[in-house]
Amino acid sequence: MDRLAQLGSDIVKLWGNYGPTYLNGMWSTIWLAVVCTFIGCLIGFLCGVLQTIPCEKNDHIVKRFFIGLLRLVIRIYVEVFRGTPMILQAVFVYFGLPYFTKDAIRFTSPILAALVVVSINTGAYMAETVRGGILSVDPGQTEGAKAIGMRHFQTMLSVILPQALRSIMPQIGNNLIINIKDTSVMFIISYTEFFAVHRGVSGATYMYFPSAAIEMAGYLLMTLSCSVLLRWMEKKMDGADSYDLATTDTLAHTSGTLNFRKRRALSAARHKAVPRDAGKPDRGRDERGR
Amino acid sequence: MDDRLLQVSHLSKSFGHNVVLRDIDFSIRPGDVTSIIGASGSGKSTLLRCVNMLEIPSSGRILFHDRDVMARGFNIPAYRAKVGMVFQSFNLFSNMTVLENCVIGQRKVLGRDRASAGKTAREYLDKVGMSPFINARPRQISGGQKQRAAIARALAMEPEVLLFDEPTSALDPQMVGEVLDVMKTLVAEGLTMLVVTHEMAFARDVSSHTVFMKDGIICEEGPPKQIFGSPEKQETKDFLARFFRS
Repeated sequence: MDRLAQLGSDIVKLWGNYGPTYLNGMWSTIWLAVVCTFIGCLIGFLCGVLQTIPCEKNDHIVKRFFIGLLRLVIRIYVEVFRGTPMILQAVFVYFGLPYFTKDAIRFTSPILAALVVVSINTGAYMAETVRGGILSVDPGQTEGAKAIGMRHFQTMLSVILPQALRSIMPQIGNNLIINIKDTSVMFIISYTEFFAVHRGVSGATYMYFPSAAIEMAGYLLMTLSCSVLLRWMEKKMDGADSYDLATTDTLAHTSGTLNFRKRRALSAARHKAVPRDAGKPDRGRDERGR
Repeated sequence: MDDRLLQVSHLSKSFGHNVVLRDIDFSIRPGDVTSIIGASGSGKSTLLRCVNMLEIPSSGRILFHDRDVMARGFNIPAYRAKVGMVFQSFNLFSNMTVLENCVIGQRKVLGRDRASAGKTAREYLDKVGMSPFINARPRQISGGQKQRAAIARALAMEPEVLLFDEPTSALDPQMVGEVLDVMKTLVAEGLTMLVVTHEMAFARDVSSHTVFMKDGIICEEGPPKQIFGSPEKQETKDFLARFFRS
């Protein structure tokens, strides 16, 4: 019990001294994760669309060659960046590039380098996720689009990707949460995110465990908020369960799903506006009777 | 000048070693309503899918206004916009409302502006009796309603010929009725149609030409009166006997 009390008071003390530093770290982590997940998604969608360009046997040889080349390049990108640790990718981009190019290409700030590395890494995962999402959309949707004369990119943008996006939303959430945690390896290029703050603070105060506890709570807070936000976005994307019948003729309301909340509001308004003894349509009387 | 809208000659299609269509010849003139009948697996749907290049034929020719559809460099998307298709499984875009389904093709393929595309879409949705449901999503409406919306989507492109691939096979009898009624209206208005169907009464009473297919070849064709009244081939007789016995 006194251990817990000790921990509590240490945490309070640490937070009192370093609160803003922790908050800064959290901000660095969260914006890097969100921005990189977003850019990674864009890369993923681009790769997904390029990978699924149809290639028929009777297409021109040059077209077939370029499509084949494109698929190979994307495949190599995915395999390399998915198959190596992000921490080493960061080392190669931040220290390796200037070393091999004799300082011709170098990132001036670790922020930019971190942005590039995490985005490209996420993109490699997202490329496969998006491909899976595209494959999961009913082929009938593509045929329906083809049959009215839509081209590959039009079909993708208007029909397939919106549906694929909905089905890969949980996976995008996964990636975001993984990024929140995994951006901690960016300390290797001296990007000061949330975990780097912990290293700094615990090094200065020797209060290793209390600082770790703050880190735990901080990371959980960030990931939980992202989870809630993503669930909410998924719900938004699903849209309403009901729809409005596009007619003013009340007798036409014989089938289909009505938006009952709206209808109730509407009939309430009607009841207020019209005196009780005034002639009312059957529907109004019916509802009052119930 | 040939008045044939669509001419299919010596068309064959095989999937690997499996030959599905063999040496198919037929043509369509504007205003024709051609019905294709035959047992399941006889190649009817594959033929229809070959006509608008959803399947690439293995050999043969398809001429649209005397232009070879299978030629290299032929603009297939533009061709498909003129040859509408209605599917057995509707294939409405599930991320859009009924109205958006009918608008998207006009906007993206025909380049119409939002207002005129919306107006055209509403006209055709009204024609198929779907105007109350324009704000519904495909998952919220019945099969018959979906198929009528799909017909409106195809019509909104104002195609020169409309292909129907067993449009009523996934529907219950009442819904079959509402879809067939829509199709009869279209026939009365003079739309050129190529219909793969198991609705023998529709083929017999509504179409102007009937094609009977068996095992990937056209077994017999002619006016419906002849095919249904006095078929010449034994295969046709057997097929129809099985159908009309019940």
